[in-house]
Amino acid sequence: MKKLSSMPESPSAPPVQRNWWVYVVLILVCVVNFLPYLRVVMTGFMDGATSSSATPIWFFTPSLEAFDYLIFEKGIMKNFFNSVVVSLASTFFSVTIGMFCAYALARYDFPGRDDVSFWVLTNRMMPPVAVLIPIFVTFQTAGLLDTLLGLIILYTAMQLPFVVWMLTGYFRDIPRRYEESAMVDGDTWFAAFRKVTLPIMAPSITATAIFVMILSWNEFAFATFLTSNQAKTMPPAIMAYSIGADIKWNVLGAAVVLITAPLILFVLLLQRQLISGLSQGVVRK
Amino acid sequence: MAEIEINSLMKQFGAFQAVNDVNITVNNGEFVFLLGPSGCGKTTTLRMIAGLEMPSSGRIAIGGRNVTFLRPRHRNVGMVFQDYGLYRHLTVFGNIAYPLEVRRLQRAEIARKVNAVARTMQITEVLQRKPDQLSAGQLQRVAIARMLVRDADVFLMDEPMSHLDAQLRGQMRAELRHIQKSVGVTTIFVTHDQLEAMTMADRIIVMKDGEMLQFATPREIFERPATEFVATFVGEPQMNVFDVRITRIEGKVAAMTEDFVIPLDGTWVQEKGVENLVGQGVRLGVRPEHISVSDKADGSHGVAAELYSFEPTGAENLYVLQCGGVTITTRSSTTETAHLDKGEGSRLYAGFDPNWIYLFEPGSGRTIAQATASRSENEEM
Repeated sequence: MKKLSSMPESPSAPPVQRNWWVYVVLILVCVVNFLPYLRVVMTGFMDGATSSSATPIWFFTPSLEAFDYLIFEKGIMKNFFNSVVVSLASTFFSVTIGMFCAYALARYDFPGRDDVSFWVLTNRMMPPVAVLIPIFVTFQTAGLLDTLLGLIILYTAMQLPFVVWMLTGYFRDIPRRYEESAMVDGDTWFAAFRKVTLPIMAPSITATAIFVMILSWNEFAFATFLTSNQAKTMPPAIMAYSIGADIKWNVLGAAVVLITAPLILFVLLLQRQLISGLSQGVVRK
Repeated sequence: MAEIEINSLMKQFGAFQAVNDVNITVNNGEFVFLLGPSGCGKTTTLRMIAGLEMPSSGRIAIGGRNVTFLRPRHRNVGMVFQDYGLYRHLTVFGNIAYPLEVRRLQRAEIARKVNAVARTMQITEVLQRKPDQLSAGQLQRVAIARMLVRDADVFLMDEPMSHLDAQLRGQMRAELRHIQKSVGVTTIFVTHDQLEAMTMADRIIVMKDGEMLQFATPREIFERPATEFVATFVGEPQMNVFDVRITRIEGKVAAMTEDFVIPLDGTWVQEKGVENLVGQGVRLGVRPEHISVSDKADGSHGVAAELYSFEPTGAENLYVLQCGGVTITTRSSTTETAHLDKGEGSRLYAGFDPNWIYLFEPGSGRTIAQATASRSENEEM
């Protein structure tokens, strides 16, 4: 960036303290956290005999036997596809709806506003097991059992409180005059919201969406009870391979790779947005 | 360009009366200031003109068109907000172009207009920067540029200079006044800084507690304040006001405190009917520049005082004097007072210029008698 000649040079930044031991601690934490996962991934690429040997084997010829079994014999890609559809759709709907709810809670003062926002939070307090049976019966009546639509509706409803609570805080941090200024400049309220507030909110919304997506992707309890065949998602599908007397470790490992790979890729790609979104509003000008 | 007409404007927030019966007529091309302490309803009034707040009752017309309950975008007003309201995700160019893009102007036309206004405001070098890379002064210029770029009927400014340092503010005052006069668009400017209002305004509206106290030219406001509040709010240092009792001493009407007597001008007493106040307590006001200080008691310096504090400001010296129970501030040129004692506690004598004495009603604060020497522009008193 070109500096104006008339602008005074600002003093250089104070020296950053580099503490080597901080990095030692960080590396240690990473290794401790990452090793088990690495072992699971390795198992996924073993053949049946290697994976079930009594002494751990560290060096082996990689094999795609387990993946072959899962994908072509068990058709796990169908579950994978279900998971993708359900988490994408529920993320989209919960973030879109939640965004407007949060906006209203943050911007407008209406009677019972605090009660509404507290009520929204209480929805999240209920343990899923407690409402499993009523929801099962409701789904049965509505014909939503074992359908993707049913899961999408349920997950959207489940994630809404989370979205509303996160975004309300972020919306509060955005001064109202951005919209007011756009409205005076000739915009409608919605145009001001779309062209001014949303771009400013983008990092926070992205961060929220990533969280919601991860929660939906990993949801297990409802998926297990409400789906059986057609709409089964990854978590209950993988569960099947960890139960029974004869566990095929390499198959379980391959399944773990399949369920975690998208999340890891996703977060790696979006980590910058994630961090800037989470830290938004922390530093006030 | 248009005139603004506001009739009995009211705004309530719950039980709180934010704006109470405001009536203003602003002529085409006029630069009018809304002046008052914070919470006096001046910003609310401005926001109602912009359409960001809907009045509880009353009528607002811009250019003869009733806009009272119209949405902001139908009013064609330009506005500068207190902290500028610039969009931090757009460049300076994008910010200035925004109102034009909303109006779907041609790209080349937008670029032409933005560049022209950027030249006026001297911000051409920073057009490609984001707002967080600008200094306060530049932000201010960008915000004004965004207001200027469109052909608005009316400009509204909500304390746009409150974030600038004193030096920049002085510069900006002259510049803004110059721009307003050359563009010729009716402008309403909200401020709590009396100096800003006095130096830039064609006319000033002084507000307090949601009510309009006075609407007049800066000179009229300064010389013929409608109430004690207006008198003390405008002028720096502020007008000295204290309780006196009107009495008759040796046949002459004078004002008396517990510690000293202020002789009053005979013709003025007759003209304003001050005689009728004899025996009553009133509030007497006199500006610091109309009190002279001397080290000897004589006919025109009859009030004995003790120097409480001495404040040299360069060309002028301020003496804060303790006259018995009354503290008064005086202002006089440095050359005239060079010989006086400057130590705290020195004995000095103060003289009140009888031509510049105001009387206010205790309680209501209404002005009973304007100073003799003050000239009204519409001779209404």
